[in-house]
Amino acid sequence: MNDQTNVKLRLNNSELWGGLIGLGLGGFVIWQGLKLKLGTINDPGSGYVLFYTGILMCVFAGSIIISAITEGGPTLASRWENAHWRKPLLLIACLIAFSFALEPLGFLLSAIPLMLLLLRLIDPVRWTLAIPVAVLVPLGMWWVLKRLLLIQLPSGLFGIG
Amino acid sequence: MDTLLNVAHGFGVALLPINLLYCFIGVFIGTLVGVLPGIGPISAMSLLLPVTLSGTPESGIIMMAGIYYGSMYGGSTTSILVNIPGEAASVVTCIDGHQMAKQGRAGPALGISAFGSFIAGTFALIALMLVAPRLASIAIAFGPAEYFSLMVLGLVVLTFLTQGSMPKALLMACIGVVLGLIGLDSITAQPRLTFGRMELIDGIGLVPVVMGLFGVAEVLLNTEQAIKRDIINAKITQLLPNKADWQASAGPVARGTLLGFLLGILPGGGAVVASFASYALEKRLSKTPERFGHGAIEGVAGPESANNAAAGGAFIPLMTLGIPPNVVMALLLGAFVIHGLQPGPLLITQNPGLFWGIVASMYIGNVMLLILNLPMIGMWVQLLKLPYNILFPLIILFTILGVYCSSNNVFDVYVMIAFGIIGYFMRKLGYEPAPLVLAFVLGPMLENNLRKSLILSQGDLWTFVQRPISAACLALAMVLLIAPLLPTLRKKRELVALDEGA
Repeated sequence: MNDQTNVKLRLNNSELWGGLIGLGLGGFVIWQGLKLKLGTINDPGSGYVLFYTGILMCVFAGSIIISAITEGGPTLASRWENAHWRKPLLLIACLIAFSFALEPLGFLLSAIPLMLLLLRLIDPVRWTLAIPVAVLVPLGMWWVLKRLLLIQLPSGLFGIG
Repeated sequence: MDTLLNVAHGFGVALLPINLLYCFIGVFIGTLVGVLPGIGPISAMSLLLPVTLSGTPESGIIMMAGIYYGSMYGGSTTSILVNIPGEAASVVTCIDGHQMAKQGRAGPALGISAFGSFIAGTFALIALMLVAPRLASIAIAFGPAEYFSLMVLGLVVLTFLTQGSMPKALLMACIGVVLGLIGLDSITAQPRLTFGRMELIDGIGLVPVVMGLFGVAEVLLNTEQAIKRDIINAKITQLLPNKADWQASAGPVARGTLLGFLLGILPGGGAVVASFASYALEKRLSKTPERFGHGAIEGVAGPESANNAAAGGAFIPLMTLGIPPNVVMALLLGAFVIHGLQPGPLLITQNPGLFWGIVASMYIGNVMLLILNLPMIGMWVQLLKLPYNILFPLIILFTILGVYCSSNNVFDVYVMIAFGIIGYFMRKLGYEPAPLVLAFVLGPMLENNLRKSLILSQGDLWTFVQRPISAACLALAMVLLIAPLLPTLRKKRELVALDEGA
C-alpha cells in the first residue's frame, strides 16, 4: 500500500470506521444485556451472556481502533479501487426495490422485473435473451413450487401467482 | 464384529431406492455447485434445506452430506480447467492443476484429483466408522463445562485460521453469538433483542443468514470485478494417470488423507485448512520444491486428498458431540434439528439406522462420484462456459426462493437481503463471515452450557479448569489467542490463515 492508500489519523481510514462500528455495536449489546438483567453468577439471567459478549466486542473493537491509529489502514476509497462499484450498488438497489415490491405485488410481478433489471442493468445481456430468461425462469420456478411442491408463494394485492 | 454388523445395517438403509436417489441428487448437485464459481456447498445446502422436509431424515441428510463431499470433487474441475476455484477448498488446486492443464496434462490432473479424492474419502469413512462410536461413548460423560469449553475452542481455532486480523475475526464471532441469542431465552422464556417484532420471537433463521452472507454477498463481490476465464479448450484425453504420476502421487495422497482427516476432526478446522496445509507439507517434503507452481502433480494429489478426507472427518464432532466444526456442518445440524433429531453421543445408539445409513451412503456417494465425474468432465466444461451475467440473476432468484421456501415467510427474504448487503461491506472491510456463522449456531448452545455449568457449580468458575477436558480445551484456546501477539507465531499464522468458506 502506498501513502495515498494507507493512512493513520485520518477519517477516511477504513479500519478506524470498522472498529468504531464494532464499538458502537458492543455498547448497544452491553446496554441490552443490562436491560435484560444480569442475574447472579449462581443464577445467570437473560442478559448475562449478552452483557459479557458486549464487553468482549468493545475490547476487540478497541484493539482494531488502536491498531488503525498506530499502524494505519487502507482508505475507504482504496477498498473499491479498480472495482466496478456501481454494479453492486445497482444490484443492492434492485434487491431493496424487490423487497418492497414482493408483498404488495406478489412473487411473479416482482421477480420478473427483478430478473429483467439484473440481466440488463448490471452486465447487459441482449434483449432477445434477457426477456425470455426473465419471464420463463420465474414462471417455471413458480410452476414447480406451486404445482409440484405445493408451496404457496406470495400472490400480492392482485392475486397473481 | 459389531462394527461390521452395523455397517451391514447401514448399507441396508443406504441401498433403499429412495436413499440411492437422494444420494445421487446430492452428489450431482454437489459436483454442479463445486464446478460453478460463485455458488458453494453452503449456498446449495441452505437452498435445499427445505427440500429435506419432504422425505425421511435419512434421505434428507444423505442428500445434504452428498452436496458437501460432492462439491469437493467438483471444485477441482474448475480449478484445473479454468483457474477459478469452484469452492474455497480448491483454491490451492489452481496453482499446479491449471499449470498441468496448460501443459496439455489436464487429463492426469483431473484423474489424480478424482482418484485421490476417492481414496481419501474412503479412508475418512472407514476411520469415521471406527472412531465415531468410541468417541461417542466417551462423550456421554461430557458435562456442560466440557461442552462450553469445546465450543470456545472451536470458535477460537476458526478465528485463528481465518484470513486477516484476529481481533476482527473475534469481533465477528461475538456478533454471531449475539445474533444467535435473538429470540426467547431458552431458560427464562424472556424475549431478547426482538424489538417487539413477532417474527424475531423464534430468532433469526440460519438459512437467511447463511444465504445472505455467502450467497448474495458473493454475487455482489463477483459483479464488481470482471471474472476472467481461461478455459482449457483442448480435448481432454487420457484421464488415467500413468505409472510415473502414480509413483509421484502415492505419498502425497497418503499424507494428505491422514492430515486432512485429523484437521477435519478439529473444531474450527475443515477442508480449506486441510488443502492448504497439505500443499505446504508436500512443498516442504519435496526434493524439487521449485517444480511447485509449475505443474507438479503432487500439488494436486495432496490437497485434493486432504480436502476430501477433511470433509469426512468433519462429521465426527457433529455426530458424536453435536458440535458442528464448520459452517457446512452447522447447516447439517440444522437439517437434523428440522427432523427433531439431536446429534450427539446418544445419536449412534438411539438412531443406529440413521448414523450407519449416512456413513454407508457416503461410501456409495464416493463411488458414484468416481463413476460420474470422469466421464462427465466434458459436460462440466460446457457448463463453465455459461456467462456470469446470466448465471448471477439465476443465483439471486434461487436464493430468494430457497429462503422463502425454508420458512414460508417474506420476513426471511428481507433478512437475507439485509445480511447480503452487510456481508458485502464486511468482506470489503476485511471481516470474514465464517466465524460469525459458526458462532451464530454455537451461540445458544454456548450460553446454555455456560449458564448450566454456573448453576450446577453454584457460581464456581473453577469448574471449567478442574475438569481435565475442559481445562485442556481452554488452555489450547488461550494459547491460540496469545499466539498472534508473538512475532514468529504471527508470521506462521499469516501463512496458514485463509478464507474459510467450507
